[in-house]
Amino acid sequence: MACVRLDHLSKSFGSAAVLDNIRLDIAPGEFIAFLGPSGCGKSTLLRMIAGLETVETGQIHIGERRVDPLPPGDRGVAMVFQHYALYPHMTIFENMAFGLRNAKVPKAEIEARVAEAARILEIERLLQSKPGQLSGGQRQRVAIGRAIVKKPDLFLFDEPLSNLDAALRMRTRLELAQLRRRVQATMILVTHDQVEAMTLADRIVVMSERRIQQVGTPMEIYARPANRFVATFVGSPPMSFLDVTLDAGAGGLARATLPGGASFNTDVPLAVLPTSPTWRLGLRAEGVKVVAPGSGLINAQVEFVERLGDRTLVYLRLADGSAITAEDAGTSRAAMGDRVGLTLDGAVHLFDAEDRAHYGPAPAEGQP
Amino acid sequence: MSALDRAAGRNRWIDRLGWAALTLAAVVMVLPLLWTVGLSLKANGELLRDTASVFRMPYTLENYGSILARPAVFRWLANSLVVSLCTTAGVLVLSSLAGYGFARLEFPGRKWLFALVLFGLAVPEQSVIITRHQLFSALHLHNTYPGLVLPGLAAPFGVFLMTQYFKAIPAELDEAAMLDGASRRQVFWKVLLPLTLPAQATLGIFTFLSSWNDYWWPLISATRSEMFTLTVGVASSQINFAQTSGLGFLMAQAVFASAPILVVYVFFQKYIVRAVSGAAVR
Repeated sequence: MACVRLDHLSKSFGSAAVLDNIRLDIAPGEFIAFLGPSGCGKSTLLRMIAGLETVETGQIHIGERRVDPLPPGDRGVAMVFQHYALYPHMTIFENMAFGLRNAKVPKAEIEARVAEAARILEIERLLQSKPGQLSGGQRQRVAIGRAIVKKPDLFLFDEPLSNLDAALRMRTRLELAQLRRRVQATMILVTHDQVEAMTLADRIVVMSERRIQQVGTPMEIYARPANRFVATFVGSPPMSFLDVTLDAGAGGLARATLPGGASFNTDVPLAVLPTSPTWRLGLRAEGVKVVAPGSGLINAQVEFVERLGDRTLVYLRLADGSAITAEDAGTSRAAMGDRVGLTLDGAVHLFDAEDRAHYGPAPAEGQP
Repeated sequence: MSALDRAAGRNRWIDRLGWAALTLAAVVMVLPLLWTVGLSLKANGELLRDTASVFRMPYTLENYGSILARPAVFRWLANSLVVSLCTTAGVLVLSSLAGYGFARLEFPGRKWLFALVLFGLAVPEQSVIITRHQLFSALHLHNTYPGLVLPGLAAPFGVFLMTQYFKAIPAELDEAAMLDGASRRQVFWKVLLPLTLPAQATLGIFTFLSSWNDYWWPLISATRSEMFTLTVGVASSQINFAQTSGLGFLMAQAVFASAPILVVYVFFQKYIVRAVSGAAVR
C-alpha cells in the first residue's frame, strides 16, 4: 500500500490543454474514483500516473518515490484496461506471468502467485485457454488477475466495467468491492458512471473542464456538491434549478422567494452568503413532493411521468416556465397535463452567480 | 410449383452455371501444365515426329535422368534457393521493423517518409534497371549472391502491409506490456511480432514465389553460368525454342524448376488462399 501525491500537474496535447494544475493526495489503501464526462481529462490523468503519458509540469509521488521520470514498468503500478488488453497469443497463465517474468521473479513463485490469483478470481480452469476462447466477464477477471499477481502498490482501473452488459456489470462491481477487501492496495478507478463511483470509492474526485471540481466521500459529493456542475453531474435525475431572490428571514437565515412569489426559509444563515447578483436554488427530486393543487408551496403542470416501479419521476413546469423534477411513490397517480401542488422539504442548495454552492453549518457526522 | 420453389430452382441453375464456368476456367489453367508434364515424359525423338504421341504409350523418365546427369542444374537450384530464402528472410525482417516504426514511433518526417515508400510501389523495375545495373557494376556486385538478393530487399509493398498490420493492433497491448515491465524491444519481439504472423506468412510466401520466378534481374546480373538461378539456367539451355531437338528434356526442366513452387503451394495453400482473398489483412 502506498500513498499517492499529485503535485500541480498540467498537461496539454499540442495547443489543447487537457489538465490544469491538478493537486491531490491519496491515502494508503484508499479507493479513489475519478468521475467526469468524457473529455474531462480523467483518463489522461490516470495514464500520467501509469507512465503512459508524459508529465509536462508537476510531479507524481507514489509512496516516498517520485515516479514521473520513471518508465511505466518501474512505478509499482498495475493497470486494468478498458478493453482488457490481454495478449491474444498467450495462454491465460502466460498472460498473468508475463509481467513477473519480465521482473525476473523465480519460476516457482510465479506459479504460486498465478495460482493464488486464479483461485481468488475463480479462473483456475481457464489457465491454459487463450483469451479468444473466453467470455467478456472472464477476460475481465483475467485482466484483474494480471494486475493482482504483480502485487502492485497502486491499482489503476480505466473504465473496467464499461464493456460488460448491465447484469454482469453489477456483479463485477460487487466483486470488485469484495476484491478490494482482500487485496490491500491503493486503487484508482476512472469512470463516467456515477453509480460505479458512488458504490466503489472511498472518495470521489469529480472532474470537468481540465480541473478537479470537488473531492469528497460519495455522500459529501451527493449531499453538498461544491458547484452547479457537480450538482448536475452526480445524482439521477439531475438536480433542478430555480431562480430565487434572497432576503433576511427568521433567525438570520436566508429566506428564498420563488418566481411565483412563494417564499420559504432555508437553513443557510444570510450572513455567510457573499453578495451575488443572482441566486439559484438547487433541488433534488426526492426533496420535491407532489401534493394536491393549491395545498403545496407552488403549483406546477405535469409534463412527463417516468414510472420506475418503486418510485415515479414527475417532470413539471412552473408558471414562469422553469422546469423541476419531483419524486412520487411508485403508485403515483400523476398524469401528463395534470395541475399539481409541490412541497419543498429536502436539503437546500444555493448557487451564486458563479455557480458556487453555499450551505449552512455542516451536519453532524453520519447525518449529511 | 410455388414461386419459392421456382426461385430455388433458378438458384440451383445459377449454381450449376457457376460451377461449370469455374470448372472450365480450371481446365484452361491446368491443361498447359498437364501438357508440359506429358511432354516431359516422352522420348525426344518421338516428339520430333509428332507431339500428339503424348497421348500414346510408351512413357519414359529419361528426360529427368538427363537433368540429374547435368550437375549445373543442381547448382542453379541451390542458387535459386539461396537467393529466394535470403530475399524472403530479408524482406520479412526489414518490413517488420519498418512497419513497426511507421505504425508506432513518432519521428519527424514520418508521414513524408511513408509517402515516399508508397511512391516506391508505383515505380516499375524496368525504369530503374539501367541505373541499378551501373550501380551494381561499379560496386562489383554482379555475379554475387548479394548482387542477386539486394534489389529484392527494397520491398515497399512489404513495408506498407506490415505498417497497416501493426496499426491494426490496439496500442493498449503495447501499454499493457510496458506496464508489465517490458522494454520496447520486448514489446516488439514478444507481444507484437507474434501477432503479425498471418501477415508474415502472406508476405513471406509472395516474396518467395516472386523471387523464385524472377527472371529479368538474374539474367542481367548473373552472367556466369555458376551464378545462374534456375529460371535463367533453364532458359539458357534452350537456344531456340522452335528448333529445339529436345522438347521433352525442356519440359522436364520446366517441371523440375517449378517443383519447389508446387511444394510451397501445397504446404501453404491455406495462407495463400487467405492472402489472395484479402482475409489475412483485417
